Amino acid sequence: MDSEIILIIVIATALAFDFTNGFHDTANVVATSISTGAARPQVAIGFASLLNFVGAFISISVAATVAKDVVDAEVITPTIVFAGLIGAIAWNLITWYFGLPSSSSHALIGGVVGSAVAAVGFDAVIAEGLVGKVLIPAVVAPILAFLVAGIAIGISYRVVGKQRPGIVTRGYRYGQILSGGLLALAHGTNDAQKTMGIITLALIANGTLGAEADPPFWVIASSATAIALGTYSGGWRIIKTTGTRIIKMDAAQGFSAQGAGAAVILASTHFGFPLSTTHVINGGVMGSGAAKRLSAVRWGVAGNIFVAWLLTLPAAAAIGGLTYGFTAIFGTGALGPILVTLMALSLVAAAFARRAERGAPVTAAGG
Amino acid sequence: MIATIVHTDELLQTILASVVAGLGVTFAFSVAIWGAGQFAELSRGERPLAATAAALVGVLGIACVAGALIIGILVMTHK
Repeated sequence: MDSEIILIIVIATALAFDFTNGFHDTANVVATSISTGAARPQVAIGFASLLNFVGAFISISVAATVAKDVVDAEVITPTIVFAGLIGAIAWNLITWYFGLPSSSSHALIGGVVGSAVAAVGFDAVIAEGLVGKVLIPAVVAPILAFLVAGIAIGISYRVVGKQRPGIVTRGYRYGQILSGGLLALAHGTNDAQKTMGIITLALIANGTLGAEADPPFWVIASSATAIALGTYSGGWRIIKTTGTRIIKMDAAQGFSAQGAGAAVILASTHFGFPLSTTHVINGGVMGSGAAKRLSAVRWGVAGNIFVAWLLTLPAAAAIGGLTYGFTAIFGTGALGPILVTLMALSLVAAAFARRAERGAPVTAAGG
Repeated sequence: MIATIVHTDELLQTILASVVAGLGVTFAFSVAIWGAGQFAELSRGERPLAATAAALVGVLGIACVAGALIIGILVMTHK
């Protein structure tokens, strides 16, 4: 009975994490289209939500990596997964509260690794998977998006340079409907799969699924729904702040940045690399900006991403480990996870109340 | 050992696919815009043959973008 309660808590927490991931990342997915006038905010957000949902169904490679290649599923328990999720959520909340950059994806993996190490030791971590499928792609992907977007905008200007500006701007705005849609699809497929992977890992740990099982359909559908709802909800918040967070760029730059970001995320997803989609999108935006004029780029954002790379994994791992240690005080039953959930909900409510009084911070990086 | 940890093959394929797709689609779409621009200009200059050729180049560009998208989605969904 206790294990079923813990499993339900883990699934609810994972879906809540997925919702907040969509909520937090809406701005990154739709900002470029709105900024260049390619789409009205309502249309861009609705379209992004729909494609987030669809994207979650096109691949399960990333889910398989999260469920089977980062930690040893055979020694993991649902409580370890729960502690990892709390580590990720807590770190996201801390960074959101203080206005620091973060990566939801790195936090999730860091949290699970930290709680697994605290519970079982370093033997629980599959170093090959963690380094080869998470850490190295995390560094390579944003740089790749930067370079591809930079070269792509050079090609665009070269090809259409002598055309009338009106037709060029209109053309790339139409193109952004396509590239923005692809980016939303890519975001949905990579980010929703992390939640699918975590829930699958918990189901394997609980003995509900076999060690080599793929995510069941209900896991895929619920993860897709949670991220799509998060994107849609986050969008309405973004509409109110449009203009303060969006980087000014022309339609060709927007098309190149979105195209490069979507290409990198979709290719990485195909090979099962769980990425920080926000870092990749920011890489593309900076690449298309830098190719036109170096000073046009908000290099502070690049600095923030670098800090997020350094901090997120170890910090989320530390919180995940501490959370597991705390739950272990109350034995292996459901009491520990229930107490942590109640404490976490109280802290979240308090943080939101205080932040609402002071006004929301502008953060640079998210999922 | 290092190659096993780094997943060199998959990483290189990711880089190759990103470069080919990212640059290829941008180039093809830019060619489509060029074709549309040239078509409008040549039509105004009453050069119907050249305008038709430019329009065809534009359509070819759009066809390449559509083809790349279809191939990409097929590859993603058939792993």
